[in-house]
Amino acid sequence: MGQSTQGVALRNHLIRDAIHQALYDRMKADDSVVILGEGAVMKMHYDAPAIEREFPERIVTLPISEDGNTNFAVGMALLGVKPVVDVITSDFLFRTMDSICNTAAKINFVSGESDSKKTIVVRAEFLMAGPTTGQRLESLFTHVPGLDVVIPSTPLDARGLMTTALTKGGVTIFFEDRMIPDSTTKKADLAPTESVPIAFGRARVRHEDSGVTIVSYASTLRQIETLVDSKKVKCDLIDLRSIYPVDYETIFSSVRRTGRLLIVEPDVTYAGVGAEIAATVSEKCWEELEKPVRRVGMPRETIPASTALHKYFVPSDSQILSAVRALM
Amino acid sequence: MVDELDFYRKMLTIRLLETELQKLCLAGLAGDLHFNKGQEAISVGTCAALAPEDYIVTHHRTIAQTYSKGTELKPLVAEILGRKGGTNNGLAGEMHFNNPAARHLFSFQLVGTCVPVAAGVAWAVKNYLREPQIVGCFFGDGSTSNAQFHEGLNIASLKKLPLLLICENNGLAGNIRKATYLPTDSVTERASAYGIESCRIDGNDVLSVYKTVEEVSRKVREESHPYLIEMMTTRLCWHKQGQPDARSDEELQELAKLDPIPRLGRRLADRARERVEAEVNQEVQDVIRYGLSLKYPDESVIPQLQAYLETMAVKD
Repeated sequence: MGQSTQGVALRNHLIRDAIHQALYDRMKADDSVVILGEGAVMKMHYDAPAIEREFPERIVTLPISEDGNTNFAVGMALLGVKPVVDVITSDFLFRTMDSICNTAAKINFVSGESDSKKTIVVRAEFLMAGPTTGQRLESLFTHVPGLDVVIPSTPLDARGLMTTALTKGGVTIFFEDRMIPDSTTKKADLAPTESVPIAFGRARVRHEDSGVTIVSYASTLRQIETLVDSKKVKCDLIDLRSIYPVDYETIFSSVRRTGRLLIVEPDVTYAGVGAEIAATVSEKCWEELEKPVRRVGMPRETIPASTALHKYFVPSDSQILSAVRALM
Repeated sequence: MVDELDFYRKMLTIRLLETELQKLCLAGLAGDLHFNKGQEAISVGTCAALAPEDYIVTHHRTIAQTYSKGTELKPLVAEILGRKGGTNNGLAGEMHFNNPAARHLFSFQLVGTCVPVAAGVAWAVKNYLREPQIVGCFFGDGSTSNAQFHEGLNIASLKKLPLLLICENNGLAGNIRKATYLPTDSVTERASAYGIESCRIDGNDVLSVYKTVEEVSRKVREESHPYLIEMMTTRLCWHKQGQPDARSDEELQELAKLDPIPRLGRRLADRARERVEAEVNQEVQDVIRYGLSLKYPDESVIPQLQAYLETMAVKD
């Protein structure tokens, strides 16, 4: 099922490989790209040995000081380095809220138009393991100007979005959803042989059909696609890919046809990404909506350690299908 | 090069400029500023000893630091007053003041931040640009309680970075005394915890500041390792214009005896000193008048704001 791409040996997680393929290509083309974080060299050693081998002086292993490490990356960026800060687990990003939101997010604003935009990428992964290993923070970052937020659902998107993050200028929070099962990856969504940028703010319509409009991303997007493929639901299926900025034109275009919107999100529904989309669609597509916008997501509760309880923290197929029925 | 008259001119310019700006704060025209009264010798002496190509990163008491580093008075005042023609057309203000042309790369409101950021700049200087420059960062003794100070020192020491750490120790964090935030006798002890060499000097003796920074910056440049200079000083003004002092008049009178400006002035010939005083007075008056004559920016300086206002407009 996998493919080998020049430069980066495959491990067993296709999205991660695609991210590293993009990093490798960017590091090769642009000597200002630097990878940093706790255990950075070790991670490259296991996940992208070609990067470790060919660009060893541009991998910076840092101590357990997430906030300081991110401020350190901002300092590098001020002189034209493009740092990719690996904060490892999404929950750890709570430690970096100051360096990301007060420091990184402001440097391009106060420079006005005079300087070209400094580039910083902060990456972290989603898991589902316990109270502080499983929190998803994407909606928090969408609230802060100066930050873009992307979450790929496929290796192809991962490679394209990371390429853009390192070429367009600006500060990007890049999430890797490790709850996505590789076994369901389609051939067409494998990482291509070249790193081709995918613009932020462009969703992908993965299916078009009568019925409802379903907007999703990351693990729940893949879950719904499996339902579509097994003919359990008919819908337009829109993969956001870009959590900020959101591709509203694509969403409006679909909703104006179907009149029914379901947002399925892998994160907590309360004040989540879906809440913002629901409000905006209700404002802009009021005339065309047949039913109120619905959302399905994670409950607003702390994730317990016992894996037996994790199924309550992931939207179930029946919750999704039930929501679809309620919209028809 | 030690030019005592030039040091005097620079310190006096900061002092008189801030005196005028304080009047504008009281008139509601300059926001809430953090003045450097009593601490001018640190910025002037340090920046004179740094090379023009060296970089600085600061916290929010920026007027003295950025002027000393080479920012010209007109764009400085314009930015402080929030006008078009400021170094960032009013977007940065005092607390995020930056002037990359003078290699004052950025400033931060939250104290502690400048240390790891300056360390990152130093990494880029050493490993990416591969230049012989060093990076200076200015912070107060109050900020040395913050985790970012500690994480920054830790990283700078581990990565052997050419970082000059200037601690302006005025014994205060706002109106809070150092017994509340400094459990050791000096800030230098905090540096040694990270394997960083340090020294402590009289920060109100501009000649001593200059000489020390000259020696230390040579060492930092050659050895590529951080060094912390704790400069003891006196804050003769409020923490910021909107936060009145809690110290007694008696205490402030005693501290005023340590003012770095008359201390240097006593070394100068009367005629030269008086000439400089008259010139600086005139220059400051002129630049304040200039600053007040400038227009304010409109919403077009923030592209996303304009786009947002358009979406909010109700279409009939």
